[in-house]
Amino acid sequence: MAEKAKVYTYTVINSASEEFKDKVPYVVAVLENKNGRFASFIEGYKDGINVDIGMEVEFSRFDEAQNPIYKF
Amino acid sequence: MIGIGETKMGKLPDRSLRDLIKEAGSKAIEDAGIEKERIQALYMSNFNGQYLCYQGHMGPLASEVLELGNIPTIRCEGACASGSLAFRQGLFAIASGMYDVVLVGGVEKMTHRATEEVTTGIASAEDFQIEARVGITFPSIFAMIANRYFYEYRNVREEMAMCAVSNHYNASLNPDAQMQKTITAEQVKNGFPVSSPLTVFDCSLVTDGAAFVVLAATDAAKEVCKKRIVEVVGSGHAGDTLTIGTKKSITAFAATINAAKEAYNMAGLSPADIDFAEVHDCFTITQIINIEDLGFFEKGKGGDAVASGKIALNAEKPINPSGGLKAKGHPIGATGISQIYEVVTQLRGEAGARQLKKADIGMNHNIGGTAATCVVNIFKGW
Repeated sequence: MAEKAKVYTYTVINSASEEFKDKVPYVVAVLENKNGRFASFIEGYKDGINVDIGMEVEFSRFDEAQNPIYKF
Repeated sequence: MIGIGETKMGKLPDRSLRDLIKEAGSKAIEDAGIEKERIQALYMSNFNGQYLCYQGHMGPLASEVLELGNIPTIRCEGACASGSLAFRQGLFAIASGMYDVVLVGGVEKMTHRATEEVTTGIASAEDFQIEARVGITFPSIFAMIANRYFYEYRNVREEMAMCAVSNHYNASLNPDAQMQKTITAEQVKNGFPVSSPLTVFDCSLVTDGAAFVVLAATDAAKEVCKKRIVEVVGSGHAGDTLTIGTKKSITAFAATINAAKEAYNMAGLSPADIDFAEVHDCFTITQIINIEDLGFFEKGKGGDAVASGKIALNAEKPINPSGGLKAKGHPIGATGISQIYEVVTQLRGEAGARQLKKADIGMNHNIGGTAATCVVNIFKGW
């Protein structure tokens, strides 16, 4: 997994599914790296953090389902 | 199209799936003016009954409730496009010559479950493993689409709010609509921020409801139909990848563009020929993208069209005279049929306070998931 990826688009979620309702507010994004685009959760969002299309985020870990999780 | 029927859309805690099917199905058969023995097949649409109501096998359920005997029946599922997919199956059955009269119905019951449970259920229309499991909800998918649209074209936050305002106004003239009150753009923008930039007022409704239509071959329709005959002159269905990360563009939907092209070609019509359309406004940004993808307005100019009043009742291109998914309601499995109900109602001149002055050719546009499925149908009144 590439260390960094660029934000292709994103959103701050305040209304979530049962599994994620305790995590709001949180950021999900479509990220872009040399392999293409993919959806991800971006860890470390706090109210007031600036999120923009084109900004870089860092790879953090794979979750239990082997999905890549990134961080600010 | 010889018969239509629907329930009032809304939060209907006292009404069961059976009850909703009974009312809408019976109304459609009665409207068609036929004995139910003439119905040769039933195509049922439902999206999430197995999760939200623990009820599958919707075909025989509806057939039993409507006392249709031993006719063949099947359930169609394609997320929010399920209704229009079932309609296409009915259309094929008639067009093939296999049957002369078929019934198509859709039903969904959602409002008895908590918001988080409904959110989980709807997330099954995305990729549950690689999207829902990282916290992606449906509103968040279209919120990401909106942010990307703002980046590629311009910020249409104001125009998105105006779509909601327009649909609420139209719904206030529709007795079957879930929402009967108008709202302001300020209310939309200041609503609970479900998923930025979308507030709760940018999102379609969680709805209980059912809608049915009766389709007949042209000869049979001429024989029984006492109202204006409505002919299906064009129909298109196209797909795309399931996930948001894999689409070439997320600000124009390839499934819509391809389905519309097929429907326009079949009908021999162009976007300018369409008097009005029911388009899939699952979120306000979707309505803006749809009216561009369907060829009504130039790409990137959908917001301008909304702002200049071109989509209002009796304006240049009336969009969602019923109130749309946003304000009539979005009973997922019934939605496509509910759109068709409105198109036929308008073409017959039976839409009451929201009746359009020019209603000879109408369209319904129904997408499923992240525009992974799209059906477009064009209807013409004789």
